[in-house]
Amino acid sequence: MSVTYLSFRRLAALLTATAVFAGAWLSVEAATPFLPARLKEDGKTPDFRGLWQARGTAYVNIEGHSAENGVRASASIIVDPPDGKIPYKADALARRQENYRARMTSDPSRKCYQAGVPRATYLSTPLQILQSPGNFAIVYQDNHAFRVFHPNNRPHFDSADWWMGDTRYHWDGDVLVADVAALTDELWFDAAGNFHSTEVHVVERYRMTGADTIEYEATVDDPLVYSRPWTLRTVLERVKQRGARIIEDECLEDANGVRRHVSPFDRANLLKSDYSRWKTGASAEPASR
Amino acid sequence: MKPLRTASLCALLVSTVAGTALAQPTQTGPNSPGPAPARLADGHPDLQGLWIKSAGGFQGLFIGSLDGTNFAAAGRGGARGAPPAPQYEYTPEAAAARQDRQRRGYEDPEARCHLPGVPRSLDQPGGLYPVQIIQDENYVALLHEAMHDVRIIPTDNSRHPHNYWAWDGDSRGRWEGDTFVVDVANFNGRTWLDMAGNFVDDNEHVVERYTLLDRDTILYQATVTDPTVFVKPIEMRFTLKRVPPEQQILEYSCLEGERSLQHYTSEDGGTKSRAK
Repeated sequence: MSVTYLSFRRLAALLTATAVFAGAWLSVEAATPFLPARLKEDGKTPDFRGLWQARGTAYVNIEGHSAENGVRASASIIVDPPDGKIPYKADALARRQENYRARMTSDPSRKCYQAGVPRATYLSTPLQILQSPGNFAIVYQDNHAFRVFHPNNRPHFDSADWWMGDTRYHWDGDVLVADVAALTDELWFDAAGNFHSTEVHVVERYRMTGADTIEYEATVDDPLVYSRPWTLRTVLERVKQRGARIIEDECLEDANGVRRHVSPFDRANLLKSDYSRWKTGASAEPASR
Repeated sequence: MKPLRTASLCALLVSTVAGTALAQPTQTGPNSPGPAPARLADGHPDLQGLWIKSAGGFQGLFIGSLDGTNFAAAGRGGARGAPPAPQYEYTPEAAAARQDRQRRGYEDPEARCHLPGVPRSLDQPGGLYPVQIIQDENYVALLHEAMHDVRIIPTDNSRHPHNYWAWDGDSRGRWEGDTFVVDVANFNGRTWLDMAGNFVDDNEHVVERYTLLDRDTILYQATVTDPTVFVKPIEMRFTLKRVPPEQQILEYSCLEGERSLQHYTSEDGGTKSRAK
């Protein structure tokens, strides 16, 4: 509501003031960034702690997409290039199309692999930022993946290919800038087959734009796959549900050998195709807790 | 529920007694305590850093012996001062189930990439997989390299949830003096305690105690109760040593096509023949 109200005020100001005055006023507005709270321990490190989640459907397709399979349509979260499309080289685009056609079986996340970077950020499940002076880590609910951010005083591991990559970070004022390399080429950016090679290099920027919002930006470069670097941007919102926590997310191979996520809330679900559980215990009434 | 509660209470008492015993000078000697532990602004000991299980414990000794001999259980080998192996006393029904598991080592849930559960998440093979601890006034988080297993343990006096059954259970922590005490319940009853088929069901309840002996050593103690599986609580303890700062946690991923099953001996249900 207040946003709408402010917009009206701004519009009124624009109409009544001279163009020069309005322009100066707007630039002053943009130059006043949000000042995040500080960690109590040192009184200076911006406090990013908490449970966060991206809204929207970028996890399905980071490019603009129409509605399908119960997922609503969405604009692209790619802000550069301006057309919102990944600047694939010709042969890479062909492979993306191939991936797209096979997405129902080929998407690595269907095999319960860790999601990679930046995909883990805009999944439909929350993440938690853990922080203390000198420590910064993100725990993702999806497949209990986590990343420990290391200070960028040492080079990347150059021969590793990891699902969650090797992360080096520094603070640019109140913005956390993370440099990510050593990612495996078995990762996708989304469920639509967008991909990269092992040459990929991601630069992430985490910026608090309000007490309950983090603007997340990732610039992706991969000379083997794209004609130029490109950038996506999305917003993480603080999860305010009282008592909300990261819940355990495990995958179980079902009777058909298909790996699927199981819910810690569904006791029966846990019992299917299950040797390791003691049958005597399984038939007992759930313990009331 | 009543037997379970009673057993938990017993476990608490037992672990308290054990903790008192360990505070005696038996822990000093060649490994005399180093500098006093650092503290956070809230006054609690600072458990943060990268830690790795030192020699001792039983899982590491077991896996470390290529022929599958459990040195710890046999009372030989291992590092000087290695803690005693836990003693398992099964209920009659559970004893049969355990024997079955011993024959089917390939059914080990961890070999299938599942979360290890507690205390197995800490009791990984000694010296192999570190754990990163990050701590603030609201939680102590354990980020394990092995199985990229994570426990974010709240210290806000909150209670275990209802209708929640997890591999790692649900952990709630509190400070008892300088010891971080974690109550773990809500297990799904699928995990094993080791590669040898020792197991628990969903009545498992664990009380863990993390105590900094000096700046670079955490004493880890766990009491596992499970009245439908064990006739008495299982006691476990070993130390975690600080990893030098030039080292860092690496990525561990466990995927389909996992090959560790081939290292299980035929006695454990695997394909490898047992060394003479």
